[in-house]
Amino acid sequence: MADDKCPSCGSCGMPLEKPEDFALGDVTRAYCRYCTDARGELLPYEQVLETNVRYYVQSQGITSDAATRLAQALLADMPAWRGRH
Amino acid sequence: MHAATRQEQKVATRERLVNAAMALFARKGIVQTTTADIAKSIRMSHGIVFLHFPTRDDLVIAVIDEFGRRLAVEFRQAFEQDLGLRAVLHAHLRVLAEFEPFYARLVIEAPLLPPKVRSTLLMLHAAVSQRIFLALERERKAGRARKFERPLLFNTWIGLVHHYLVNRDVFANGDSVIAQQGETLVQHFMMLVKA
Repeated sequence: MADDKCPSCGSCGMPLEKPEDFALGDVTRAYCRYCTDARGELLPYEQVLETNVRYYVQSQGITSDAATRLAQALLADMPAWRGRH
Repeated sequence: MHAATRQEQKVATRERLVNAAMALFARKGIVQTTTADIAKSIRMSHGIVFLHFPTRDDLVIAVIDEFGRRLAVEFRQAFEQDLGLRAVLHAHLRVLAEFEPFYARLVIEAPLLPPKVRSTLLMLHAAVSQRIFLALERERKAGRARKFERPLLFNTWIGLVHHYLVNRDVFANGDSVIAQQGETLVQHFMMLVKA
């Protein structure tokens, strides 16, 4: 029995199910297309945070303060941002 | 060969822990259940839990992720086959029914959970919101649905579903409330959005 669960983005945790979910459509990449730039490089933390906050606000109408607090808590434990001060 | 066997054991142990956690969280509550309770329920030593999950929160998140993975599969099928909003709602309910006792606890206890866990749940809600909105937009372009703002569209659906889940003891006679009331909720929601 192999562990057939799909990997997830090391920056935001998004499940990486299809090649197009990965940076540059390359399945060997550790991050998703939303957390990386046109060259496949990881975006700065502030930009990733902002994308996540916007995602929460637009999808559920929660306040941006609450969205920021919760997105920060989620990102804090991701491999890309762990130990960041 | 030997390495593969160890990997298999590791995956199987992790799966047992996640399943045991899900069952206990559903029965006893997420906040109330300790990692020691979970280990004891499957006669495993307490230390093994931490080999797989550094903190209790990580184990809670692993259970939520199981739900999320099932949801992603169901949504992808409904969406790729362009089955419409009704199919997306049914896909959502199918997975909720599978995870119902745990999910109902999760909804009840959400405000009490640590931000990291709550954030994982909100990320799932965001994905559901997106699927419902995109499906509605397709219906709207075909002249079958009215226009809605995305947050309120989602909150209307999830508010309805969560109300029934949180009060499942009075909406279903000890059975799955989704199995008993799900179709009614879908029909009602479809009527609300109809053009």
